[in-house]
Amino acid sequence: MNPIKITLVIIAMLATHPAWAAESGTALKADALKAEPFGDAKTVAALSAGDKVEILKKNGGWLQVKSAKGNGWVRMLSIRKGEARKGSGDAAGLLGLASGRAGTGKVVATTGIRGLNEEELKSAKFNETEIKLAESSITSQPEAQKFAAQGKLVARKFDYLPAPE
Amino acid sequence: MMRAIKILCLVALVLGCSTVWGLDFGQELKKALKEEVQQKIAPSSGDAQGGNLLSGLGGISQEEEIAIGRQIAGNLLGASPLVKDKRLQKYVNNVGRWVASQSERPDLPWHFGVIESSDVNAFAAPGGYIFLTRGLYRMLTNEAELAGVLAHEVGHVIRQHHLKILQQSRLLDMGSKLIAKQVGDNNAAQKLIGSGAEVVARALDKNAEFEADRIAVVLSTRAGYDVFAFPEVLQQIGHFAKDDGSVALLFKTHPHPDDRLEKLGLAMGDRFDAVNGQTLEKRFYRLKP
Repeated sequence: MNPIKITLVIIAMLATHPAWAAESGTALKADALKAEPFGDAKTVAALSAGDKVEILKKNGGWLQVKSAKGNGWVRMLSIRKGEARKGSGDAAGLLGLASGRAGTGKVVATTGIRGLNEEELKSAKFNETEIKLAESSITSQPEAQKFAAQGKLVARKFDYLPAPE
Repeated sequence: MMRAIKILCLVALVLGCSTVWGLDFGQELKKALKEEVQQKIAPSSGDAQGGNLLSGLGGISQEEEIAIGRQIAGNLLGASPLVKDKRLQKYVNNVGRWVASQSERPDLPWHFGVIESSDVNAFAAPGGYIFLTRGLYRMLTNEAELAGVLAHEVGHVIRQHHLKILQQSRLLDMGSKLIAKQVGDNNAAQKLIGSGAEVVARALDKNAEFEADRIAVVLSTRAGYDVFAFPEVLQQIGHFAKDDGSVALLFKTHPHPDDRLEKLGLAMGDRFDAVNGQTLEKRFYRLKP
């Protein structure tokens, strides 16, 4: 790989890797911007799908954001963090190469750890040793309850959600 | 005579299955088989042997479901073995079992595991065999996120999404499988699932994925975890470029994370406003680099 290409790869990684991404976001759908992180708080402004926001803070399911339309709190699920959905441009392609893969999901450089593609799954052969090993780590229900109690997790009732619309 | 028995078996199968798996599939087959059945079976409908066979068949039992799942899981592990870290595997089983205990099938012998693959993905097989890749595990930052990912897969198992797919594509094989069982063929589960672990690589209906997402947030909530941890994982997965190889299979078999977040947001609405849960970041088992 020549130096220019390597630089491009680094730029692409910086631009797309979540750890380096500025806390920006885009509204996935129209939603109200609230004065406080509550559903019944005063509405400050209305965000439209595609509006850019800057994320300042998180509180439960709410994000405090700055936007051209105003500042306030919006439901986390109405915001997509990072840039808007990208097409498969050059930067993405380079990123794919940089992680040792081409777009096909095939490993093009030896990394020691393999990916999984459909062909591999189709031709996979049963491994009795591995399945027995997997089964040896089983956790019983009483064990799980103990584990939950150690983490101060308390079970509560909550109904399944109906499909929207 | 053999042919008549075979058709009787199919009929039994269809009748049995329609109660377990819903009408969409059963109705169609009943209709398709009706003619043939009337032509070929009617003359020998009083046949005693046929009657015995009918009573011995039916829907898939829980034992069969687990046997099918075990075969698929063993095949998947043949392609990608477990990460050799006993503490990690036990930790994932602890979190997974606690989450699965909040579902309507707490008594299945649930198994969870992390497999050696740099891909970002997770798999569920019937009967409660659930695996996530090292690549996905590495993205997680706390226990609530792990719980959410496992809860999504638990959703596929309790709603029998993969079993339904097998059912639809392998029905005729199932007929022969069950007949084979009568003569003592013990390779039945493999025959039923086709090649290797291909069923886990197949795309489910989009709505099955949206349903599993809704189940994920509900089971996380019931288990006491932060409900917004799972959407956070979807956000992270959404950051991958479309043609990044490590998400190729995931993106091929699932709706885009943006669409999943949007649908999930609509379903959640304000229902979780008063719900607080734990992330348990400190307890989260971190992989050695």
